[in-house]
Amino acid sequence: MMENKEIQEILPHRYPFLLVDRITHLEPGKKAIGLKNLTGDEWFFQGHHFFPPVLILESLAQVGGIVLAAKAKEENPPARFMGLFAGVTDFQFYRSAVLGEQVTLKVELTQSLANVYRFAAEALVQEEKIASGQITLSFSPT
Amino acid sequence: MFNNLGHPFPVLLFDEVIDLVRGERIKTFKLITANEFYLAGHFPGNPIVPGVLTLEGMIQSAIFLVAETFSRGKLECSLQKVGRVRFKRPIYPGDRLEFSVQVDKREDPNWHFRGQAQIGQENAAEAQFSLHVDFREVGFEI
Repeated sequence: MMENKEIQEILPHRYPFLLVDRITHLEPGKKAIGLKNLTGDEWFFQGHHFFPPVLILESLAQVGGIVLAAKAKEENPPARFMGLFAGVTDFQFYRSAVLGEQVTLKVELTQSLANVYRFAAEALVQEEKIASGQITLSFSPT
Repeated sequence: MFNNLGHPFPVLLFDEVIDLVRGERIKTFKLITANEFYLAGHFPGNPIVPGVLTLEGMIQSAIFLVAETFSRGKLECSLQKVGRVRFKRPIYPGDRLEFSVQVDKREDPNWHFRGQAQIGQENAAEAQFSLHVDFREVGFEI
């Protein structure tokens, strides 16, 4: 469990590009479940009510970043690091999330090679899977 | 324009079309400046274009190509699948980003694309993705 204040201590992302509100489950270095609320005045809702699909990818990547950063902080609290989105594989979009919905973001580390980490990732609204696939992050100490 | 095409993203992520062959390929570019609103949060004091927005630039170029391919009618495009994306290097203010997108295969209603984002001669990102293209003819032929 991690509130937004703690997320901001571990991730460098800020408005308008912090796309996870809360972490509801966290196993550092393994997996996490995050939450993104979609509400009325967000910048990406202009003339429509859909959460843009590429931002689902970004939200999931940020939760993946938390999984890796939490592990690095656990091992060495003053550690500084840089995580970047490295890739996406076989990612399928089933439907859009819309204003008023809470998006659950699930990621689980499946593979790591040097400083590249691959996650199985899925986005759900309530129990319905709206998108899923694999994402890859690069993550290294600075 | 993109709202009318069913694609939810509030910002146009290319500046100009350089080359377009209907039904086949498109080349566009975007200049990156430190004033882009999303760079304020990605990251404070360290502006790097979010990889997903590079992907969005390729997707928008593809949608523009689809729209130019049909001369009239009602068109709705949605991102269905991201088969593979690799973000190869960070993109910074001052860069000129050139998107080249080709139709790989057309299996109506799904169009499969292949895209590159280049800075000068250097590949910044590569992607394979699919759009669901819903086209309905309106009006009469005279």
